[in-house]
Amino acid sequence: MNWVGLQMLRNDRAKFAAMIVAVSLAVFLMQNQAAILATMLSMTAAQIRDVQDADLWVTEPDVECFDQVKPMRDIQLLRVRGVAGIAWAAPLLKIDAIGRSEGGRLNTVTLLGIDDASLAGLPQKMRVGRADAIRELDTAIIDPGGHELFFPGEPFRAGRSVRIRNRRLRIVGVSDIAAPFTGLPMLHTSRSTAAAFNLGEQHMTSFILARSAPGGNPEEICQKINTLGGLRARTTEQFAADAMWFYGSQGVPMLFMVTITIGLIVGAAITGQTFLMFIKENARPISMLKVVGTTDRQLGTMILLQGAVVLVLGSCFGSGIAAAVCNVIRTQPFLRSLYLPWEIALGTCFALASVTGIALYASFRHVRGLEPAAVFR
Amino acid sequence: MTSPDSTAVRCTGIRKHFGEDDARVEVLRGVDYTVRRGELSFLVGPSGCGKTTLISVIAGLLETSSGEVSLFGNHLARMPQPERVLFRRSHLGFVFQQYNLLQALTAAENAAIPLLAAGVRRREAVDRAAALLDRLGLGSKTGSYPRQLSGGQQQRVALARALVHEPRLIICDEPTAALDHATGEAVMELLASAAVHPDRAVIVVTHDSRVFHFADVIARMDDGHITHVEPGQRTVANPHLGSSRNSHPSA
Repeated sequence: MNWVGLQMLRNDRAKFAAMIVAVSLAVFLMQNQAAILATMLSMTAAQIRDVQDADLWVTEPDVECFDQVKPMRDIQLLRVRGVAGIAWAAPLLKIDAIGRSEGGRLNTVTLLGIDDASLAGLPQKMRVGRADAIRELDTAIIDPGGHELFFPGEPFRAGRSVRIRNRRLRIVGVSDIAAPFTGLPMLHTSRSTAAAFNLGEQHMTSFILARSAPGGNPEEICQKINTLGGLRARTTEQFAADAMWFYGSQGVPMLFMVTITIGLIVGAAITGQTFLMFIKENARPISMLKVVGTTDRQLGTMILLQGAVVLVLGSCFGSGIAAAVCNVIRTQPFLRSLYLPWEIALGTCFALASVTGIALYASFRHVRGLEPAAVFR
Repeated sequence: MTSPDSTAVRCTGIRKHFGEDDARVEVLRGVDYTVRRGELSFLVGPSGCGKTTLISVIAGLLETSSGEVSLFGNHLARMPQPERVLFRRSHLGFVFQQYNLLQALTAAENAAIPLLAAGVRRREAVDRAAALLDRLGLGSKTGSYPRQLSGGQQQRVALARALVHEPRLIICDEPTAALDHATGEAVMELLASAAVHPDRAVIVVTHDSRVFHFADVIARMDDGHITHVEPGQRTVANPHLGSSRNSHPSA
């Protein structure tokens, strides 16, 4: 009888298509918004996760995310280096400044001063040039979004320059780091070059990057550093989680959740209503099936299968559209980090299925309550 | 006298009302009705006299307010609902006024529905239905959809659907009402030749007097009662009915 149910569904093309379109659009809307939210949250931790040679971040105790900078005295670096289980520790300087391209385009930039000796925190992947070229004074590598902001529409290449505080910084490469949450150009340079831009600030360490010794437990080492006082040590993932929580608790996710919820409600309402209408319009054939001895269980399975087909097809189309749109959007340098986690794709489909399940149950109740004798009228 | 074994349907003192108090409508007012095996029984009467309610009660689709229905010795009212559905699936076939064919299915697939409901594999069910349609003269239309068939052809598909699982009782509700006279005659001829069987009874609800001559027995209903039972013209010709028209228990 399941096959009969599928044929009935297929035969009512207008409603079948309407239900698939409703599910597709709802899934697309929910996945698109959820992907943007997930991407935004992951961008708040992108600069932390991009540093792969260190596994520990040490900051001032109050710092919650990468964008909060509270400079530390250089003595703190020595204290961290003295903790048992630390293989190495290196300073990272972060400065925000105004940059101007050769063409006169102004942008606030984030300068990251990498330790000259160890180059700890240097981007691991490059699109153009070599990362270690920043050892040369007054050179920097720029991220793709920054390149697009300063040199819009131009192909990525080295050799251009950006002026910051009347000093010319030569671009020697284009990095392939994740897009930052702030959207500002990220310029990686040597700490000695960056120091020249750190006017009025006597401390030259924003973060301490450290590596635990082989076999060491990073979380235990963090505990040891924290007991020193005046410092807060976290593993890369702990710091990333703190950063995401910090931004996530500021209301933006709530706005996205509203849109996602609207998508869920509208999608489920349209799908459910259309499905219920489909069942009601087929009341006579269903009554006939009851008269000839189709059991409620068989009819229930039929309805469940019809609903499942609509949800699976709609979810596949919706997810496909969401993935395609995601891929198109991420070709833009600023939006290169946009991604659609499979957990979100699956979760939105299940959420819609759960809510639509209510309509399926209502449809089944309607069918169960159908008076078979009505077929004679 | 008719032996008890020859009785297919026995209704005793059937009462059925709808609504309560001021809205109460008594549709059946103590109906006694018997149909024998091998018999083609016509239930006739004016609109609203209770014919459709009576066949709904006989088929177990409606509960009686009082009285008892026995089909081949089985008391439907005493069966739990799921068992009653399975009994109907196995032992009853239906032909409706409006055919009630599923537009999404071909003629053979429509005719196969009772077999599909009984769990027969689709291919086998459709093959059996197609073979039956062939015997009913629709061999070339097994793959056609209802919209591609005439009214008479659709009713023949409905007849095949009623016969395909070889039920013991076939209930037809106004099978010729939506057809012109010639087509109605043809459908009734087919019904009389294909459906009537020594171990099967057929009840036809109709008020189309032009097809009364197909009946073995005509039970006239009015105002919720069987008012008169008379033998039809076919009684003598029906080889499945051993006893004479005068011995009909409803008479």
